[in-house]
Amino acid sequence: MNALRRCRPALGTYVDIALDDAGDADARDALESAYGAIARVESLMSFHRADSDLGRINAARPGTTLRVDPWTAEVLALALALHAVSDGAFDCGVAARLVARGLLPASATGPCGAVGRSTLADIEPRSGARVHLRARVCLDLGGIAKGFAVDRAIEALRIRGVRDAMVNAGGDLRVLGPRPRLIHVRHPARPSELVPLGELADGAIATSGAYFSRATRADGTFDSALVDPLDGRSVTSACSFSVIAPRCAVADGLTKVLALRGRLAAPCLAHFGARGHVS
Amino acid sequence: MEWRPAGIWPLVALGAALSPVVAAARVYLSVPQAQHAIFGDQVLTAFPVALTPAQQDAVRQASSVSHPFQGNRIWKAADGGWLVIDEVVGKHEMITYAVGIDADGAVRRVEVMEYQESYGQEVAEARWLRQFVGKDRQAPLRLGQDVEAISGATLSAKHLSDGVRRVLAVHALLLRGH
Repeated sequence: MNALRRCRPALGTYVDIALDDAGDADARDALESAYGAIARVESLMSFHRADSDLGRINAARPGTTLRVDPWTAEVLALALALHAVSDGAFDCGVAARLVARGLLPASATGPCGAVGRSTLADIEPRSGARVHLRARVCLDLGGIAKGFAVDRAIEALRIRGVRDAMVNAGGDLRVLGPRPRLIHVRHPARPSELVPLGELADGAIATSGAYFSRATRADGTFDSALVDPLDGRSVTSACSFSVIAPRCAVADGLTKVLALRGRLAAPCLAHFGARGHVS
Repeated sequence: MEWRPAGIWPLVALGAALSPVVAAARVYLSVPQAQHAIFGDQVLTAFPVALTPAQQDAVRQASSVSHPFQGNRIWKAADGGWLVIDEVVGKHEMITYAVGIDADGAVRRVEVMEYQESYGQEVAEARWLRQFVGKDRQAPLRLGQDVEAISGATLSAKHLSDGVRRVLAVHALLLRGH
C-alpha cells in the first residue's frame, strides 16, 4: 500500500485527490501527473483567459475555423452530443445571461459578454481538432470541463498503474477501482449536513444545486446560475440533483439536464448510461 | 460503473448511515509534511516576522483578507525559496494552507493542509450536536474519516485565492531580498 491524499486549489474550487492503492506506481509522481492533467484542462478551457482555446473561440468572428487542442475538441464534441440528446436543455451559451443578471462578473466574459443569444448549436466540429463557428458565441464550459478534468486526472492515474483512487473537484468526483466508496451529498437546505446517497465504484457522480449560487432579485424572488437555455428561466428549486455516470464529464453535463427537466430527463440519462437522483 | 443507492440498503445499515454527519473536516498535511511536500529534503530555516500596523494595512488592502497575518510560520529554503503557512476563513470554510514561493517570487505550489467546513451559526450548532454523534455506536463517528466523499454544488475557492495573494503581499513587503 502506497497511499497519499492531497487537496489543491484548481478549476476555481478545491481539488481533492486520494490515492489509496498506488499499485506499482510512484504515488507522488502519479499525483503530480493527475494535477498536471487538471491544470492543462484549466488552461485550455478557462473562461477567464483570452489565450485559452475557449477564449479564442469566444473572440472569433462568424465563419472562422479554429484549430483547438484535441482535449478541447473532445469536450466540445461531448457538449454537442449532450445538447442534441437533451433537445437543447444542455447548452454552454448562458454566460452572457448570467452577467446580465449579476450572477457572473462582467469581467468574467470579456468582450463576448455583449453577444446576446449564444448557443452551442453555432459550433460545428470539423476533422483534425478544428471547429467552425456559424455565429459569434459566448460559451462557458464550466458545466462540463470540470468533470472532464476529473476524467483526465483519473486517466493519468490509471495509465501509471494506480488501482484505487478518487478525484473530487469541488463535488464532481470519480472513483477508480472496484472498491465501493460511500458518497454523501449535502442536505440542500442545510449544506453542512451530509446525507448518504449510495456506494460508488468505477464511476462518477456530479451534483448541481442552487444552494451556493442562489441570489435574491430586487423583487425578493430567487435567481440562480442554473439557467434554462431555451426560456431563460432559472432553477430555484430547493433540491439538489445528482447524476451517476461512467464518466465525470457526462455526469457533470447531465446534472443540468436533470435540474431543468426533472423526470423528462430520464431518456437522455439512459442514453448516456447514467442514473439520476434528486435530494 | 457500480452504483448501490442508499435507498435499497437494509434499514439497519441505513440507520447507522443516517447518524447526523455535521460539517466535514479533513487534515491533509502536518507542518513537517507540508514542508517536505513542497521543498523535499531541503534545509528550511525559520524566519518569523512581525508586521507593523501599517504593514498589516498594506497586506489587508492587497488581498481583501481582513484578519491579521501571523508571521510565525515562515521558513526560508536553502535554494532561496520560501514557505509560508496561513489561514483563511470563508463564508463556508476554514482553511489552513501552505504556499511555496520560488527564489524568483513565483508561486511554486499551494497545498491545503487542513480543510474545515463552517456555516457561521451552524458551527456552534455542530459542536453542540457533535457530542451526540455516534453515542450508541461502538466507536464515535470520525469526522473527515467516515466521510470519504462529498458530491455537491461547487464551492468556490475564492477565499483561498485571496489568501495566496495575501501571502504574496507579505513576500513582497517583508521576505523578498532576504
